[in-house]
Amino acid sequence: MPEVKTIFKEVLPKQQLSMEDVSTMVLCKPKLLPLKSVTLEKLEKMQIEAQEAVRQQELAMKEQ
Amino acid sequence: MEVTMDPLFLAWSYFRRRKLQQCSDICTKILQENPYDQAAWSLKTRAMSEMVYIDEVEVDEEGIAEMMLDESSIAQVARPGTSLRLPGTSQGGGPTPAIRPMTQSGRPITGFVRPSTQSGRPGTMEQAIKTPRTASTARPVTSASGRFIRLGTASMITNPDGPFINLSRLNLAKYSQKPNMSRTLFEYIFHHENDVKNALDLAAQATEHAQFKDWWWKVQLGKCYYRLGLYREAEKQFRSALNHQEVVDTYLYLAKVYQRIDQPVTALNLFKQGLDHFPGEVTLLTGIARIHEEMNNISSATEYYKDVLKQDNTHVEAIACIGSNHFYTDQPEIALRFYRRLLQMGVYNCQLYNNLGLCCFYAQQYDMTLSSFERALALAGNDEEQADVWYNIGHVAVGIGDLTMAYQCFKLALAFNNDHAEAYNNLAVLELRKGRIDQSKAFLQTAASLAPHMYEPHFNLSILSEKIGDLQSSYTAAQKSENAFPEHVDTQQLLKQLQQHFAEL
Repeated sequence: MPEVKTIFKEVLPKQQLSMEDVSTMVLCKPKLLPLKSVTLEKLEKMQIEAQEAVRQQELAMKEQ
Repeated sequence: MEVTMDPLFLAWSYFRRRKLQQCSDICTKILQENPYDQAAWSLKTRAMSEMVYIDEVEVDEEGIAEMMLDESSIAQVARPGTSLRLPGTSQGGGPTPAIRPMTQSGRPITGFVRPSTQSGRPGTMEQAIKTPRTASTARPVTSASGRFIRLGTASMITNPDGPFINLSRLNLAKYSQKPNMSRTLFEYIFHHENDVKNALDLAAQATEHAQFKDWWWKVQLGKCYYRLGLYREAEKQFRSALNHQEVVDTYLYLAKVYQRIDQPVTALNLFKQGLDHFPGEVTLLTGIARIHEEMNNISSATEYYKDVLKQDNTHVEAIACIGSNHFYTDQPEIALRFYRRLLQMGVYNCQLYNNLGLCCFYAQQYDMTLSSFERALALAGNDEEQADVWYNIGHVAVGIGDLTMAYQCFKLALAFNNDHAEAYNNLAVLELRKGRIDQSKAFLQTAASLAPHMYEPHFNLSILSEKIGDLQSSYTAAQKSENAFPEHVDTQQLLKQLQQHFAEL
């Protein structure tokens, strides 16, 4: 079958026979996300609330 | 006629039901009518400290100044296995950075974060100063300028009439004589006002009044000394408190002191001593496991976490740490069981769904993968979390061979968090596959400067430079890669090749 031959070509290694030793680029690994402790969550919540309160007060100051 | 409840009783009821703001409001009213009502005053201090209370055992934020100008260290270079600062030296048989990502301090990432593990200890001054540039790892200059101060000032600002108790006008000597009021007052000063110096004064006078026989005041003194950075004094107070009364908390505080002055082995011994008095105590076992984990001894950390689970099978930290350990030791299906258990227990957040998604994908349960990630995205609270989830979806895309989608995912990760070094590195690899060498090189350089602790960008840069014939840059990059991950075989081979090249010249 001549048309099949045109589709599939044999692959011959040009540089070396073994491809095992060629160093390739590495991807960074998938990252499991650490769960947060209750204390940390509370700290973050308190900080966000505090920032929000400060922002509100500053807004109120500007309006005055 | 309407029968009204006694306001103080109502306030107590609110306090017990943790409706602290209402409790404090009622107390304020009582105090307006009768400023000398001690019960209301004491209850209000308790409610206000309860509002900002955080577990003191958990709080530990080390600033740059504490880290770099450290006077408590005995030796410049500690012997292997005796220091928390040289995490790479212990042989725990844990996974290498080739499998498990590292934190900035060169420790494998853990399954659980606490305030103290949030950002590990950087190795050099240069690194320490550099770190705050990325938003997610900002570190205060000293712990005195850290969260405590910010929270303290915030509590003042929100109150338009000024602070509830004016500390500078307070006669501490008078209050220290009244044991039923001094304790609530101390907790208010310590937790709400964050005024450690006044708290210390009060504690010192109160302990004197108790004729140095009250363990509670000694523990409070120790806490104040710890906050002020006087670790040896803190140690003395805690030790003395333990002589009066064996309390689990005191063991935890004392161990915290030892960890801060970098004596993990003493801390471990102390925990074991504590376990003799309180067999099977979960917090002590967790403490041991944490130290092993920080010393990079993952396998024994896991053993202790398993002991924790034998005592308390709903311990989130233990489940998460064992789960992540299984994931990175190539057993994603077992990790999946642990994370599923967390889900059953009612943990419902972005991190958990992200981890479930990854475990499902690598355990070949493809039906659940994308829906887990969708939930993770929906639950993400901030841009950093969003970026991490997209980064992991990128990995799934790489896994199924859809490189276009992977490219878009990593781009999205960068759109959410411009400092995501891992995404830069992976994007560089994809760019190189498309043949865009310059773009790839730029991404790698960015990744390397953002995260000098990771070996991947250095190694990739080294390979890329070698391919385009820039041997000098290849060599310097390979050296950096070797510093970050000395056991990496490919880096060593590359270095050897390059050295041969240079020798032939």
